[in-house]
Amino acid sequence: MTEPLLEVKDLHTVFNTKEGVVKAVDGVSFELYPGETLGIVGESGCGKSVTALSIMRLQRPGKIVGGKVLFKGHDLVKNTEDEMREVRGKEIAMIFQDPMTSLNPVYRTGWQVAEPLRLHHGWDGKKSLASAVSMLTRVGIPSAAHRARDYPHQFSGGMRQRVMIAMGLTTTPAVLIADDPTTALDVTIQAQILDLLRHVNREFGTATMLITHNLGVVAGMCQRIIVMYAGKIVEAGPTTDVFAHPKHPYTWSLLRSIPRLDADRHEPLKPIEGLPPSLIDLPSGCAFHPRCAFRVDRCPRDVPQLQTVNDTQQAACWVTQAGTELKGA
Amino acid sequence: MLAKYMARRFLASIVVVLGVTAITLALMKTTSGSYVPGIDLNPSLRPEDIARLRADLGLDRPGWQWYITWIWGVLHGDFGHSMIDGSTVTSHILDRLPNTIELTLTAIVIGVIIAIPVGVIGALRHGSKTDHTMTVVSVAGFAVPQFWMGLILILIFSVTLEQHGLPWLPSSGAYSAVNGGDFFDRVEHLILPATVLSFFYISTWSRFIRSSMLEVLSQDYIRTARAKGMSERRVVYLHGLRNALIPLITLIGLELPGLVSGGLVVEVVFGWPGIGKLAFERALQYDYTTVMGVTFFATLLVIAGNLLADVLYGVLDPRIRYG
Amino acid sequence: MIGPSRVAELDMPGAAIETTTSRPAQSYWNESWERLRHNPIGMAAGVLILIFGVVAILAPLFSAVLTHFQPQSVDLLATFKPPGGAHMLGTDELGRDTLTRLIWGGRVTLGVAFLTVGIALSAGTAVGMAAGYYGGWADDALMRFVDMVLAIPAIFLFILMSILIHPTPVTLALIIASVGWGNVARLVRGEVLSVKQRDFIMATRSIGARDVRVMIRHLLPNVLPVLIVAASLGVGQIILIEAALDFLGLGIQPPTASWGNMLTNAESYFYHSAWLVYFPGVMIFVTVLCSNIFGNAVRDAFDPRLKS
Repeated sequence: MTEPLLEVKDLHTVFNTKEGVVKAVDGVSFELYPGETLGIVGESGCGKSVTALSIMRLQRPGKIVGGKVLFKGHDLVKNTEDEMREVRGKEIAMIFQDPMTSLNPVYRTGWQVAEPLRLHHGWDGKKSLASAVSMLTRVGIPSAAHRARDYPHQFSGGMRQRVMIAMGLTTTPAVLIADDPTTALDVTIQAQILDLLRHVNREFGTATMLITHNLGVVAGMCQRIIVMYAGKIVEAGPTTDVFAHPKHPYTWSLLRSIPRLDADRHEPLKPIEGLPPSLIDLPSGCAFHPRCAFRVDRCPRDVPQLQTVNDTQQAACWVTQAGTELKGA
Repeated sequence: MLAKYMARRFLASIVVVLGVTAITLALMKTTSGSYVPGIDLNPSLRPEDIARLRADLGLDRPGWQWYITWIWGVLHGDFGHSMIDGSTVTSHILDRLPNTIELTLTAIVIGVIIAIPVGVIGALRHGSKTDHTMTVVSVAGFAVPQFWMGLILILIFSVTLEQHGLPWLPSSGAYSAVNGGDFFDRVEHLILPATVLSFFYISTWSRFIRSSMLEVLSQDYIRTARAKGMSERRVVYLHGLRNALIPLITLIGLELPGLVSGGLVVEVVFGWPGIGKLAFERALQYDYTTVMGVTFFATLLVIAGNLLADVLYGVLDPRIRYG
Repeated sequence: MIGPSRVAELDMPGAAIETTTSRPAQSYWNESWERLRHNPIGMAAGVLILIFGVVAILAPLFSAVLTHFQPQSVDLLATFKPPGGAHMLGTDELGRDTLTRLIWGGRVTLGVAFLTVGIALSAGTAVGMAAGYYGGWADDALMRFVDMVLAIPAIFLFILMSILIHPTPVTLALIIASVGWGNVARLVRGEVLSVKQRDFIMATRSIGARDVRVMIRHLLPNVLPVLIVAASLGVGQIILIEAALDFLGLGIQPPTASWGNMLTNAESYFYHSAWLVYFPGVMIFVTVLCSNIFGNAVRDAFDPRLKS
């Protein structure tokens, strides 16, 4: 077994607000191995983005109040700002959801893509720009030398996201974190971007953390996935296994709620009952229990921990940890 | 794209100029006709004199004739003649304009130099004591009457210092009548009036920069910049400020029109020989035509200034330039 | 509306976490008033202006009961008296009591200011409404006209008009309003354009309501908040302009006292009666400061989103 590149151990990140303390990341632990693609799935507000930002130490105004983030053996939580700057954009790169607003409108694209090279490798303008242009070509931007002189608003959405990806990869980082890179794009473009990410992962060997709320996206992309709910990881495992036999009622409900082309026309859709919980005022015991179809007595009482339930999968659920299979109509 | 944008703005300006001319004409007509300003204060004028003055002013001609004559004149740089001594308004303008520009440009420069750092500091330290103090001073700055501030500064830096035998700043004129005229003399005379004039700019612009910076710093591309691992200073100044300053350019551009008229009160308080003081002096003498000519000139500058500001903005914002 | 608590998007750093708790629904006006009420500095400023206003209205009373002087009574035996004694704030070059003149001066200044606001708001609203509602060439024509009026530098226009029109408090208000209405018109037009799109306007018109009715009963109430904010923020500026014109001798003429014209001869006071320079200026400053603070508070009350 190779050494994990990134190890998050019991991470806790909170936001102090007027209404109370929001536990955005509530004891999250997972590993990322070199060259793999890991998917982090969950709905809005479950803490997946804050987890990624915490790894980069960009979680302000939130605060990391516990846990470790081991990158190549070194704890990022303990780094000084200066030390983090050596990591950001160089060893761990992050791309964001909306490429329109994530690129600076007043600087030329090529200049922005080349910036990490100037910052981290100390290259001069010409050399860094040349490298940026070649990277732009590799992510599929035609006439890259020309286009590098354009401004972000002169690109279409899909092209902009390619630019963002190029910008993240110029320094050949070990890890690429992609925070919901496709939501803001048209469906057909989404497929292209995902293709690109797959290609990049293979060609550069960059470990990729793909954050999304879309199960369809992870299905084609990620070898392993993590499912988050209310700031905690509720399930983890290889994608095929999790999809075939989910070990947490939340995952199970999510999969069930996806409309299927082969379903009976008259069958009603099956949404998840209830609403996501407030992160200031979490339900007692298992946070999912008010909405859970498999709830037992223990669930409102004790908080389940993430544990192995078979050879490959982990889940934080009293029911499945006891061995019960999740089945239902 | 830029050319089209500029052409559109230019055409709109022409329309406004023509309209202002019409308003000017209307003002003349509604109050004149049989009334020539100031006439009734001069009992020694006989009916023949009044008739002659009216003829000189073109009040006996139909409106549209006057309109054409006026536009024609303006295109040739003729802004009318004084009712008092017949001198051309243009000569007065040429005489005084450089002084006014000297004063207002200095004030703008001082304003920019001080407002930007103050605004940036306010944004970076928003919520802190420093920020609150700065805000309070800005808010107070809005409420101080310019003429009164001028008077107080004269009181402190000219009168009181002189009374205590300390070196003091001059309180009027652009340069000393005796032994004056060199660079330092001019600067000495410029300090007080330029400071008073710049105060308003500093108050407005520093608050504006502050809120512009705060908005810019909350943008996604700032998060991207941080994620690329650059120093906070670089994030703020290279990526942030560059965006925050764009709207400021528009604001400054908006002041360019006021370049000629904004300093009037300060000019009067400090006896600064500029266009504003000219208008004021002539107004006291009921020299209507001179005041009218100067007003029209100032209006042309306002329109030109607006156009310039639009163009400047178009050039600086790549979204318009290459849009 | 009773509902469950919801948590908004957490994915971005710096996102505000908002939760709504259950509360009875309130009208926009009540909510705004509540917000204003809870702004102590804003309310204090507003109260101070109110006090100034009351003192101004009751000027004759103050003359009779407090100072025992009339604003225009000359006393050549008591010129340039420093503050103290019967003349609580001293006297000017004609022996007139400063405090009395400050009180009566406030009456003039505040009176002109509010009258100006009234005129500018009325004219501006009428034009802005018409332009926004009717649109098309009427809108273009009206707005071009506004552009023209606003192109003329205000101070020059004021000087020009004060030659033509003898300045009394009323005519002065008209002169100052002749520029102010333009900005109001633009503001109102903008609001009308955005409200016009809403369905209830179309619904009203489809049942045959006349244009004027639509404008007054439906558009106006929606435009009112913007007007109130503009008025509150504008009063301060107007007072400054009025004071400047008076100071220059182009506004309220002596012997009628106004804060501005009490400073016309200020330069001659420097060497011996500096207090005559301080008092009127401080009054202007405090009044404008309060109206600015109150104006900001009103704006924040109506639209807290605008707060930085």
